[in-house]
Amino acid sequence: MIRFVAGRLLGGLAVIAAVATACFFLLHAAPGGPFDGEARMAPEIRRNLEDHYHLRDPLWRQYAAYMAGLARGDLGPSIKRPQTVNELIAAHVAVSATIGLCALGIAIGLGLAIGVAAARRHGRWPDRGLMTLALIGISVPSFVLGPMLVAVIAIRLGWLPPVRIDGPSGYVLPAITLGLIYTGAIARLTRAGLLDVLGQDYVRTARAKGLAERAVVWRHALRLGVVPAVSYLGPAAAALISGSIVVEKIFEVPGLGFYFVASIVDRDYPVLTGVFVFYVAIVVALNLVVDLVHGWLDPRLARASSR
Amino acid sequence: MRAAWLSAVVVAACGLPDGEFFGRVPEVTAPRHLRYCNSKEPEALDPAMATTTTALKITHVLFDGLTIYDAHGLPEPSLATRWDVSDDLRTYTFHLRDGARWSNGRPLTAWDVAYQVIRVVHPLTASPNGDNLATLRNARGYLGRRVFVLRRPVAPYPAGELVELAEPGEPREPARIDLRAASRPLALRDLGAAAAAAYAWVPAEREVALVMTTGGRATRPSPDGSPWAYVFDPTGDGVYGWVPAAELDREPHGDDAIAVRRVTADGERPVGAADDARPVVTVHGRDLQVTPDVLGIAVPDAHTIVFENAEPTPSCVGRSNNPALRPTPIEAVSRWPRRWTEPGRIVTSGPMTLTAWRERDAIVVERSPTYWNPGDVRLDRITFFAMDDQAAAVSFYFTGGCDAVAANTIPSTYLPALLGPDGTSRYADFRIEPYLGIYFVYLNTEKLANRHLRRALALAIDRAQIPRFTQGNEIPTAQLTPGTPIAALDAADLAACGVARTTPGVALIMKQGALCYVPPPGLDHDLAAARAELAAARMEMGAAFPAKLTYRYNAGTEVHKQIAEYLQAQWATLGLPVELEAQEWKTFVADTRAGRYELARFGSIGNLPDPETEFLPLFRCGAPDNRSRYCNPAFERLLDQARPVRDRVARNAILQRAEQVMIEDAPVIPLYVYTQKHLQKPYVRDLAINLVDQAPLWRAWLDPAWRSHR
Repeated sequence: MIRFVAGRLLGGLAVIAAVATACFFLLHAAPGGPFDGEARMAPEIRRNLEDHYHLRDPLWRQYAAYMAGLARGDLGPSIKRPQTVNELIAAHVAVSATIGLCALGIAIGLGLAIGVAAARRHGRWPDRGLMTLALIGISVPSFVLGPMLVAVIAIRLGWLPPVRIDGPSGYVLPAITLGLIYTGAIARLTRAGLLDVLGQDYVRTARAKGLAERAVVWRHALRLGVVPAVSYLGPAAAALISGSIVVEKIFEVPGLGFYFVASIVDRDYPVLTGVFVFYVAIVVALNLVVDLVHGWLDPRLARASSR
Repeated sequence: MRAAWLSAVVVAACGLPDGEFFGRVPEVTAPRHLRYCNSKEPEALDPAMATTTTALKITHVLFDGLTIYDAHGLPEPSLATRWDVSDDLRTYTFHLRDGARWSNGRPLTAWDVAYQVIRVVHPLTASPNGDNLATLRNARGYLGRRVFVLRRPVAPYPAGELVELAEPGEPREPARIDLRAASRPLALRDLGAAAAAAYAWVPAEREVALVMTTGGRATRPSPDGSPWAYVFDPTGDGVYGWVPAAELDREPHGDDAIAVRRVTADGERPVGAADDARPVVTVHGRDLQVTPDVLGIAVPDAHTIVFENAEPTPSCVGRSNNPALRPTPIEAVSRWPRRWTEPGRIVTSGPMTLTAWRERDAIVVERSPTYWNPGDVRLDRITFFAMDDQAAAVSFYFTGGCDAVAANTIPSTYLPALLGPDGTSRYADFRIEPYLGIYFVYLNTEKLANRHLRRALALAIDRAQIPRFTQGNEIPTAQLTPGTPIAALDAADLAACGVARTTPGVALIMKQGALCYVPPPGLDHDLAAARAELAAARMEMGAAFPAKLTYRYNAGTEVHKQIAEYLQAQWATLGLPVELEAQEWKTFVADTRAGRYELARFGSIGNLPDPETEFLPLFRCGAPDNRSRYCNPAFERLLDQARPVRDRVARNAILQRAEQVMIEDAPVIPLYVYTQKHLQKPYVRDLAINLVDQAPLWRAWLDPAWRSHR
């Protein structure tokens, strides 16, 4: 078990280094630089600015300095903002993670309930109705759903603030917008997984023993039935926690997602590489968690992987 | 883009509000608190670093200037009460008021202004605002670490001579002769403080950069008779501080051999040309002093600062409200050079001081107890919301979350809903006003070298149709210098412009009712003339006539695409096929800068109403931002001819001729003057709207009884 976790962690570090390398070189290969703008700038000023951020050093040296910093956990300074990348992440990850975890709660709670309900009424109209709803949830993009919620709930009805996080009420609409998108996927995966399991022998045995249907589904079948949904949840949770660009924009949320786009537009090399490294680190960590949860849900998997 | 999508959905979903105002008008409960929907998170609050109107709006309420922006966007005396101008328009002496203080109580003096100037042009600050001081004597040489004071006589030059690096061929990296070190640890502190009061220590032998010493032309006198040095330790975030100059006993580059010669009178001539009057001599690093004394600034006493420009520079007063001249507090900057504007660290001089900065959320400023003119401050607090998304800003305003939104924070897709079918505002709280910016097409004169072809392209465009699809009441024009429509000027401004109200086009008011610049009409729509020019071009170019042209624009903004397609259609009527190419912004900027394009959209926004500093320099030979690569000796001659002219009316007349020469050559096709869109709740009073979109925000107030005052 320990060997398994250690191996995965080492692999994760290699993935992070590879992503940082790819990010670094791809962005530096893009035309234009951080100081190309509409405004006039004397060559002397541009040179001083570029010197300050070591942008005129040979690329390999910039890369070596960056990776050395990364090894120490230092993601470097932002070129366009006064903060360091570590500070930017620290300042903005909380709001992203709060919205993301709320959304995750909505997605898991609602998704499981819908998935189980649909599976138990397999093939009948509640199943079809719920799955159609789930499909709509998957298909409607957040940049349509978000403004609709703003228009109806905030502007028409005046129940919640339309934008900005100014107290707990500000989290509601972003979390719903983000959560509903994942709800559909989880519902469909849960239904499919559960249907698969409900036909298996051990479920039939449980039923034959006279267990109540509720206990059969929730205690015995669901444990294996959610395995596909859990696999999906790893990367999904990483995306939720590290911030949604679109939802942050619609609701004017000061989250982390913003920097994924802004840093590319600004050619803010350290910020872009930094947020991607952070994102990949979360994906790696959550995938590990997913594997461990898999092992707990289905001990056969744990035995297979530790062999 | 996506924003367009969003707004379309919102408009469709909620329908249009009826009534006089756009959205909810809340009761005024805090008449001294303005909630302002600013666009985006400011890139900095430090006047040396802030460049966008978004940031400068906040910077300007925190930091006082020699002059500030009045309600018309023109300079108004503030720290400076008056100024003298020398006959040759090179030397400007500003006299500062007594009683101005920093928010920590320290008196604000001319040395503080000089410190900001030195800071902005110092290479280690890496300030993007250095351009605003480029006219100062030797400013560029100082920025480039190329100008020094000779410490000892080296024949034929006396000690104290200003010299510049002189190297044959390609200039190499200037030696860092500003580096110093000490054999004992250095205690960085405020000027005159004891070593025990040090806020940072530099270990022995670590290299620091020498920035300035006491007793210079623009630096404070020594507090104890012996010289002090202001040094920078770049380790980590960096730190500045004063130390007794005698402690800096190591000069790492003292023995370097360096070739120098006297600077020219204006300090700006290119190095390399043979010049007998300025022979090249080789000296050692220690013979050269790195000092702001080379700059064209002097502080003769605590209340006087003198600016010496290399050339006659009438814009010097107009620029005195610029962030590069807004003093910054040395005690805070020294301790945290890049991070001194955080609440708790910041020291301010303006009407307000910073109390909270929540990144990408809101910035709160409150009345400063030390501001010299408290009677002028009608607000106790301003909250600047950082609104990254235009639609979000408008939704927030709509529900009463903020009292006003910054110009250009309204999505263009909302405009048809805010404007009636006749183009006038549908709501009493929505206004469209001209902005000091011009949207135009650059023509690369190296690729489109034929003047007739360029003129044909310019003459073929019917600009009057453009606002029909851009929908922001933009002002179509073929003039380069933007301004206010002549038809909308008042009688005094009309008289200053010397034109009749019926004159088409725009005029730029440079001083209310006193000074006006009327740009020449340019090459407006004339299809017959365009055809004639095109025929001439075909004849002259023969087989070289291009089969097709390519028009570049930056992707992501709907309006650029619409305009590109419109221009394509207009040129098609001439029989000129034009291909459209969209590029990502940074690539677009880099390509157009490097001359890799034929036709490209662009825009120019002015900081002050002066064609000489803001728009015409784009077309000077070899200017770094001359994307047209235009170079016409007649245009250069006229601009040079205008330089020494003291009478501003006569000066404008020459500038007008220069613009005429340039625009007739068609290196650029102006399309329209930008407009700014404002939403202000009806209870907001005295929140000025002007051409440069810079207003004294602290003079605004909210009227709780607005309904009865209408």
